[in-house]
This record gives sequence, C-alpha cells and structure tokens, in this order.
Amino acid sequence: MAKKTFKGRVVLSGKVTGKATVSRQAFNTSGSYIENMFAGNTETAPCTDSSNKELYGKDISGAILCTPTTVGSTMGGMCLMGMKSIGVGPEALLFSKPIDTLAAAGVLMADIWKDQRIVTIDMLGDEFLKTVKTGDPIAIHEDGTVEVG
Amino acid sequence: MKRRDFVKTLPAAALLPIAVNVTAENAEAADAAQAGAGTKHSGKSPQQPKGFSVANKTHDDSGAYDTVHCDQFGIDSEGNPIAEGLSGTGSDAGLKEHDPDNPHKMKLTQEEQDILDGSKGPVMAKVLKTIVMHGELFGAERLADCGGAPHSSLYTGGPWVEPVLEMFEEIADAGLKAHAPYTVNPMPLDLYSVGQDPVKRNMMLDGYPMQGRLIQVHTRLGARPLDVWSCACYVPEVGNTAKPGTVVAWAESSAVNYGNSVLAMRINRMATGMEVLCAIAGKVPVFGVLTDEGRKAKWHIDVRLSKEPHWGALGGAVGTKVVEQIPYISGIDQWIPMEDGKPDLVAMGKLKAFGSSTASSGAVGLYHMEKVTPEAKEQGRKLLADDYQTYVIDDAELARVMGNFKNLWKDPDGDPTSVYLGCPHNTYDEIFYWSKKIDKAIKESGQEKVAIPVVMACSIVVRNRLLDEHPILLRDVLRAGVQFTTICTPAYQGLKGMADIDRGVTNSNKARFYSRLRLFGDDDLLQIAMTGKLPA
Repeated sequence: MAKKTFKGRVVLSGKVTGKATVSRQAFNTSGSYIENMFAGNTETAPCTDSSNKELYGKDISGAILCTPTTVGSTMGGMCLMGMKSIGVGPEALLFSKPIDTLAAAGVLMADIWKDQRIVTIDMLGDEFLKTVKTGDPIAIHEDGTVEVG
Repeated sequence: MKRRDFVKTLPAAALLPIAVNVTAENAEAADAAQAGAGTKHSGKSPQQPKGFSVANKTHDDSGAYDTVHCDQFGIDSEGNPIAEGLSGTGSDAGLKEHDPDNPHKMKLTQEEQDILDGSKGPVMAKVLKTIVMHGELFGAERLADCGGAPHSSLYTGGPWVEPVLEMFEEIADAGLKAHAPYTVNPMPLDLYSVGQDPVKRNMMLDGYPMQGRLIQVHTRLGARPLDVWSCACYVPEVGNTAKPGTVVAWAESSAVNYGNSVLAMRINRMATGMEVLCAIAGKVPVFGVLTDEGRKAKWHIDVRLSKEPHWGALGGAVGTKVVEQIPYISGIDQWIPMEDGKPDLVAMGKLKAFGSSTASSGAVGLYHMEKVTPEAKEQGRKLLADDYQTYVIDDAELARVMGNFKNLWKDPDGDPTSVYLGCPHNTYDEIFYWSKKIDKAIKESGQEKVAIPVVMACSIVVRNRLLDEHPILLRDVLRAGVQFTTICTPAYQGLKGMADIDRGVTNSNKARFYSRLRLFGDDDLLQIAMTGKLPA
C-alpha cells in the first residue's frame, strides 16, 4: 500500500515502529484486560471485551493501538499503568479523536511516576482510522507524525 | 502439562474463542499478535520485566466481569461503534483543536509555579506536574482549589494495582497527605460476614493479596477510618458532602454522579489515581463539568411512564442511550419525595439507584432532573443545550430495555443461592426498609430463617445507626440470616470462580451490569429470599 502520513498532537513523544492493531470502536481499556487484571495472566493479553468484534480474543500485548479514544470504567487509567508495568500494555496509543481523561491519566501516571512510556498521539483525525488496518506497518515520529504503510 | 504452560505454547490464533469465526478480518489477528513482539521503541523505556504471577489461572473464566463488564462498551444500544463526543469527562466542553506550534498552556499562580519548580519538594512537584499536564490536554485554563473532602475509588488490592500503590507510597514516604481527611470506596473483601464461608474467604484473599498494603497507604495519606469506607460517601452517617458549587477531588462513578447531580457539587469523572493526586495537591484542573458550559444537557429524557419505575432499570435505559452526555430528565418528579425543597432520605435511595445505573450502563457524571435537582430547579429547561436530542421513555420502551437484561448464570435454570441488596451501599433508610420487610415476612411465615443468605451492603456507621435506633429489629434479622457487610458487591462477585458457585439476585442494576447477578423487584426478591426459588 502507498504510504500515508498523518499529524496529531503529541501527548507523550517517542519513536516507535511496528504493526497496527486497530479498534474502530472506542477501546474499552479495563474491559479488554480483564484476564490480566483478575486472572493473573502476565504472558499474553487476549482482549476480553466481547463487544469489540475486531479485537475480542486477540493478543493485544505490546500493541500499537489505533482507536478513536478509550472508554470504560474509571479503573481504565490505572489499568494502562498496571498493564505497562507487568509487560502486556500497549507500546503506543494512536487516537483519531482527542484523548479521553482515563487514558490521559494512565499514560501520564505511568510516565511521570514509573518512567514507563506509552508513546501517545491524539487528534490524528477520522481519516487516519479510515486508512489504517490491523497489520499495517506504522512508524511514529517524535513530532507526532504517524506514517501508515 | 499445566494449563498455563499449555496456553503459553499455543499460537496466537489458538487464543481465539471457538465462537469466533476465522475470517479475513480475524486473520489480521495474527498480525496483531505479532505486532507487539515486533515493535521497536526508542521512547523512554521498553517493556519491563514481568511483575507477578497468580496460581490457578483459568483462561475460560477470568471472573464475573468477563462479558458483562464496565461503564461503557464503546457501542451504542443498537450495537454500533460510538466515538463521537466521548471525552471521559461527561462533557464535551474540552479542547477540540490544537496548534502544534502553540500548545495549550494553563495559567498558573506564582505559588503553583513555585511548587512545580520544587518549592515543596520533588514529590509534590511530580504530583502537580501530573495534574497540570492532564488539565492542559483538556483545555483547562487554571487550577481550582479543592473544597470539601476527597473520595478515592482505589479500593481493590489486586496484583495489577501495584504501580499505583507504589506511586501512593512514594507520596506518603515524602510525608505528604491529602488536603482533608478523605473517604474511600468499600473494600472488596469482608472476612467476618460473607467471608464466614471458607471457600469464599480464600477466594477473597487470593483475589486481593495487596489489600492490607492498600489500606496502609490510604491510612498514611489521611484516609478516615474503615467504618466510613463506602461508595455512598454522601449519606448523612458518612457525611462526605459539601455545599453546591464546591469543587472536590472524587472518583467512583456513582458518587461523582450523585455529587454533581443531587448535591450540585462540581466534580469531573476522574480516573482512579488522579483523584488522590488532586487530593494531595488540593488542586483540580478546571474543565468539563467544572465549567458552566460543561453542565449543559445534550439530551432531554422525556419520561412518560404510567407507574413508578424500577429506578435502576430507568437509569440503565438513560445511560445506554446518552453514554456520557448529560441528560435532562422530565416527567419523573412525582415519585421523588422532597423535604425543605430537597430530595428526602427515601428519595436519596431512588436517586442513588437511578444515577449509579446511568453511570454504569453509560458513563453519566451529571444529570439534571426537573423540579428535583438543584440546578434544574433553578434554571429549568434553560439547561438544555441548543442542539439537544430527545429520548422518550414510556412503558413499552422501559420494557424493551429490561427485556435485554440477560440471564448470565452459569446454570441458567438453577435456583438462586444468594440475594444481594445495595449497590451502591445502602442508605440507613434502605436497611431499615429491608429489615422491616424481611422481619415481617419471617414472623408471618413461621420460618426461623430466610431460605438463602441475604447480603445487605452498607458502611459500618450506617449499620450502627440501625443498632442504635432499632436494636431488636437488627437482632432479629441477623438471627434470620441477613448478613450485614461492608463489601463492594461487584468486586466480590467479580472474583475468579464466584460465578461457578453463586447464582445471585439483586435489586441493583449497577451490580447486575458489573456481574452475573440477575435483577428483580423488591417483592420478588423477598419471595426469593424466603423460598430460595424464583417467582413462577
């Protein structure tokens, strides 16, 4: 596919390359890591949000997660922090919409207090999410530029 | 081979549940699974070493939260993905655009800037840095000083909360405390009441191994004693309330909902952890429902019911429809008793049930109820935003919503094994009501005890009021098998394996939403308690 470039707002900067994991519906953070939160899985992160047809059952450990925003329980922020700490959290979060308060709290607390960065770019625009597909190559740059393809 | 080892050897596709068809879309799962492993990172830090392990992992049942969890599903009532307008704040009065060359910055006072620069030590500087960065992402112009007292929703000592505990411990080690003594959500374990069953006691201890550490750090940071730990922190016996307009640092979706709506306080729906950081600093960034604009209603809920509804079910209908946007509800005030212009103690229970359900089936942080809630009484329909939508709830619509409440018991045809009353925690009026109801049924039936345990959740200070005012009634219902407990019902029900041994029924739509409990009306619940059978 032809490479496409998008520019968003840098919430937490970093340079990351990998493959996209896409949830076109808002990503329910705590609902997606139930097995890691409550059943002791520290090896993989099979998405436990049964309402998420794109990701349910798939391993989202270390993902570059592309989604509009996150939703769910107010535990969602510390869930991101906890998942990063045990090694199954996302490597990067790429939001087409403005970041929500839960994800913002999670990535900031992990970064400032645990020195564990989840590179986060928001406001990438609806076109970003229309373009990117799970498995597409992704390159994230320090200035908030995201290359797809 | 242990199941855990077996699972580890499976390819990613084998993790897919049998019910999922392997289609072209699902074929992307393999890519997704590999994406994490192949990711290169030059940011602050790579993946950290694995932190903990818990024995007896089961892939199939990760607790009752699975399949039924959480405040929002990310889909609407018709199953379509939603994203527009979601901010997590319950308000869309936030930043919509940004200038990369001129990112939004908050205006800080000299004192606040000095704190950021280290005038009160490096840990307090980190506390304020987190708050300021968070606020700037949402267009906050300034920080507000907290009033009242904080309320924390960090209450479950599961292994994965350790990073947050470490953050709190770093703050406590620096000698910092919350700006005022604060309340905390109820604990997810109770070893004295529901924990008398050794199987369930061990499940609680296995599920929440860090509970002692959590209690300790809250104590060091200035939490009030455990007899007031309750999700219903605003009941008179607990007394964590403040005057209308007061800005507070609270988390716990149902308490935020009640505080904003019924008490007209100003509380953004915070992620767990942020509320404690704000409590330490005594500062909250001003955005969302802290602003007048952010408290406008985007939905008019036009209630046209022929009889008083199940309040939790009504809240479920509203929350599912509006998700996190603010609703203005009319046509319901005739069932809300008022005293001196405010909802009375009976109304408190109804509004608690309604609001907590909007906050769990959706993520509503604030609602206005015509002729009931303070801002609706003052401003009426001027609270409706220009572009509001309307949702009519009549008898047929409420029946449709309740018809979608599924039977999620592992054995759907089994008999009920427990009755759970009170989520959020019961008020005094509610435990008095239920105690009288059960006591009357026991004495009329000639039975010595209820047929299955009745679990009555409330804080100790609420239960103690019943002991003080109606000691004989309390004695009799205890003898009849009612278990007064401080527990958080969803956290208790969410324990791994609980759904295998318990088929519970409840009066709480919030508890139903977060677990496998089934919802019934009060008379049906009494019959179930007395017979151990579902109504015919």
